[in-house]
Amino acid sequence: MTKPIALAIKWVLIVATLAGILWIAAKLAAAGNVTAVVVAGLVGMGVLAVYATRRAVPLKYLVPGLIFMALFQLFPVLYTANLSLTNYGDGHLNTKEESISDIIAQSVREVPNTPRYKMSVATKEGDSADTGDLVLLLTKPDGSTFVGDKSGLKPLGAAGIEKTPVGKITKAPGYTILNARQVNARKELQKLAVPTSDGGGVKPVGLSEAFEGKSTVTYDAKADRLTDSSTQPPTVYEPRDARWVSTKDATQSFPQGWKENIGFSNYTRILTDDTIRSGFIKIFIWNVVFAVVSVLSTFLLGMLIALLFNDPRLRGKGIYRSLLILPYALPGFVTALVWKGMFNQDYGIINQTLGLGIDWLGTDFGAKAAILITNLWLGFPYMFIVCTGALQSIPQDVREAATIDGANAFRTLRSIIMPLLLVAVGPLLLASFAFNFNNFGLIYLLTKGGPFNGADTSIGSSDLLITYAYRLAFSGTAPNYGFAAAVSVVIFLLVALMSIPGFRRTKALEEVN
Amino acid sequence: MHKRALGAAAVTGVAALALSACGGSSPTTPSNTGGAGTSKAAATTTGTPETPSGTAAPVRDANVDLVIWTDADRSKAVQKYADQFASENGITVKVQIATDTRTQFKDATKVGKGPDVIVGAHDWLGELVQNSTVAPVNLSADVAAKFLPTAIAATKFNGQSYGVPYAVENIGLMYNKDLVPNPPKTMDELVATGEKLVKEGKAKQVMSQFVSKVGNAYFAYPYLAAFPDGGIFATKGNGDYDPNKLLVNSAGSVKGGEVLAALGKQKVLSTNVDDTNQDAIFDSKAAPFMISGPWSVAKAKAAGINYGIAPLPSLAGGGAMKPFLGVQMFYVSSKAKNAALAQEFVTNYIPRKDVQLALFEVGKRPPALKEAYDEVSATDPDVKAWYEAGVDGKPMPNIPAMNSVWGPFGQATADIISGKAGAKERLDAAAKEIAANIAKG
Repeated sequence: MTKPIALAIKWVLIVATLAGILWIAAKLAAAGNVTAVVVAGLVGMGVLAVYATRRAVPLKYLVPGLIFMALFQLFPVLYTANLSLTNYGDGHLNTKEESISDIIAQSVREVPNTPRYKMSVATKEGDSADTGDLVLLLTKPDGSTFVGDKSGLKPLGAAGIEKTPVGKITKAPGYTILNARQVNARKELQKLAVPTSDGGGVKPVGLSEAFEGKSTVTYDAKADRLTDSSTQPPTVYEPRDARWVSTKDATQSFPQGWKENIGFSNYTRILTDDTIRSGFIKIFIWNVVFAVVSVLSTFLLGMLIALLFNDPRLRGKGIYRSLLILPYALPGFVTALVWKGMFNQDYGIINQTLGLGIDWLGTDFGAKAAILITNLWLGFPYMFIVCTGALQSIPQDVREAATIDGANAFRTLRSIIMPLLLVAVGPLLLASFAFNFNNFGLIYLLTKGGPFNGADTSIGSSDLLITYAYRLAFSGTAPNYGFAAAVSVVIFLLVALMSIPGFRRTKALEEVN
Repeated sequence: MHKRALGAAAVTGVAALALSACGGSSPTTPSNTGGAGTSKAAATTTGTPETPSGTAAPVRDANVDLVIWTDADRSKAVQKYADQFASENGITVKVQIATDTRTQFKDATKVGKGPDVIVGAHDWLGELVQNSTVAPVNLSADVAAKFLPTAIAATKFNGQSYGVPYAVENIGLMYNKDLVPNPPKTMDELVATGEKLVKEGKAKQVMSQFVSKVGNAYFAYPYLAAFPDGGIFATKGNGDYDPNKLLVNSAGSVKGGEVLAALGKQKVLSTNVDDTNQDAIFDSKAAPFMISGPWSVAKAKAAGINYGIAPLPSLAGGGAMKPFLGVQMFYVSSKAKNAALAQEFVTNYIPRKDVQLALFEVGKRPPALKEAYDEVSATDPDVKAWYEAGVDGKPMPNIPAMNSVWGPFGQATADIISGKAGAKERLDAAAKEIAANIAKG
């Protein structure tokens, strides 16, 4: 490749990247996120500085990786950590201001014994349909017509008015009636209320009806109190624990709360709540056991089969190998659900054929055994493939040398093949450990973390930390993202701590070479 | 070390990808409801509902005047009337299929990309209000009077009305007419009939009911509600459920729990029956009875079962088992970009008889509009039977506190059925756990 072409390609790529960043920045700007726009701008300048000049050659290799690491690793971690300091969750998704306006808006009730109006939305003749002041042309059930705007309701003369059979006005002199799309475009219509004498307001419903409604809740900004006048005497609500709680009866509160920072409360809860603390330790121990046993069992079975099939004397290896890969080729979803059916105490094929009455999925031990058996089935083909590959790369002369030196088959396996195999497979075992440590799908499909013992449905006996965090965040009792984020941060720290010796060990394996 | 560590990291990534590929495909991709070629045309006024790829949330089309999210089953019927609404008002409407409307709606609305209208169940209401995602829908009194009163009651929360119902569903007793000519009136009769059939070798077990290892509060509730003050929450003066008054361990509930324990002991109820095998047991004639809902009818029909539908039996010492009513309804988003059109569609179209009938055809649940129900029930005995099975039922609680009940209450009933714990102590414990959860929430 000649130099000018390379240069052209380089600049095309730089410009494309910058255009991409610009596009992202435009989107972020539209969403009103100033900080993110600034960051995107800095990244763009960085890219230009690194690739357009010759100043920083090593960075040219590192920048893409660094950007993606920041985007997909650092950002989620920081975001989660940040979230863990809040009470973000169901009922606490919005701001306090939103909760106030929402509570007031939702408290609007139809005033008893008031008529339902047929309604058309219009502007004064000559005003623009997009910006002119909105007026409501209203028809009472008795056929009398009114015009309503911000100042109030006034009778509308019958002269020149045309109506549909149900009473909706289609033509009125002096007014331009808006069509459906024009009405829909006027977002302020939702806030419009034509004031009436009793303090309520005539409010539109859709395009063709209006009712007289009255909001029962008022907000006193000075005292920071909400007052609901629908009860006798009126109930006063004060802000407490990110919720509006009645000053008289602490069990009465509005469902709409707000998000706020609560410092390290979520972390202290993990440490101080007895069920959570003891459960956390129990889950953690099982989590480690599950990952270790899964890796070892799948590896041993996979390796044994690989060794067997690596024997040149065996015929029809191709067929066996394809068959053995099948469990791996089937979607894990399906396999896990099939196994769940097979483990059923009454109807499952396992108990029926073996004549057992084991309650696989209903007892602690049974559930754990069922999970490990299923995971062995799901995981050994992978280990088998990997080991087969690694075994075939071990030169035949090394084995021959061992045989000549008088080593028997077992000795050859232990002292020659295993060390060489582990160099290749070691990192994969670590990867498999990390994957199984967070093997959400299997647990969720097979036992959902159960069985649950005693009166505690938050912690199941086959739960992994990840299924536990998921239950906290997304299912079960009121989703609490803040608390689930705190649990995730703790899991992150645990996994990080555990990987350190793991990576040290890989380094040791490397020294075999 | 450096190179190796990077390699390990890369391998980790690849391995994770490879392993997760096993679980990546989705088993619940909705069946495409129209030709793939025509679904693009849905952006204009008429067309087929837009099917999402996989289980991802649909992406809101910014260029249409009204966006409706519904599940795959109802999408065609909704589309038909959405098209009519569109041409009547000279606008464009898009119906999109959401695989998990409840969560996808919450998430999309949070970031300003939610639809204007959703179709969903009434028990989502408390959560939707709590998160300020739905707007009040003010039906006029004379239109509301055209609906079944329980259906209208279910659309209310704190006295405010939030949508328009179109169907009511509840569980009942399905029985195999070839084995049992007349449905039993009491549970004792049911057990006696079933056990006789088992003895004669005509069946393998008495009844099939979804219990599962973690329990199912929806199916267990009727046993508790058969007794006075048995149930989950007491009601306030205005008819709303009161989260501060738990009935889970009331005297009536404990009596219901004792019935569950007895039936568990007799193997009439078993934690080994769950959603995966419940229908198969009934449809293979292994059990002459099944407690289930309208969703089980299609499968029973396909299996050629000569089924009948009856109200749930009554329990000795108590009254008839009362099921929960689930009401299906149309909601309007509080963050709707097209609020006026959304309100117009929901308040003017959904209360129409032809719309209710079209929605009945796809789900076979009794319509919520009286007029539509009368027409359907005159010709369809199943609908009448389901409706009658639910006459005594109460709407499922739609207060947010109910989220704290499903898990603990379900598990408690499973433990009682499996004999792990006695009814009284287990329900006491569940009540304690539920109260603690509600206080935390």
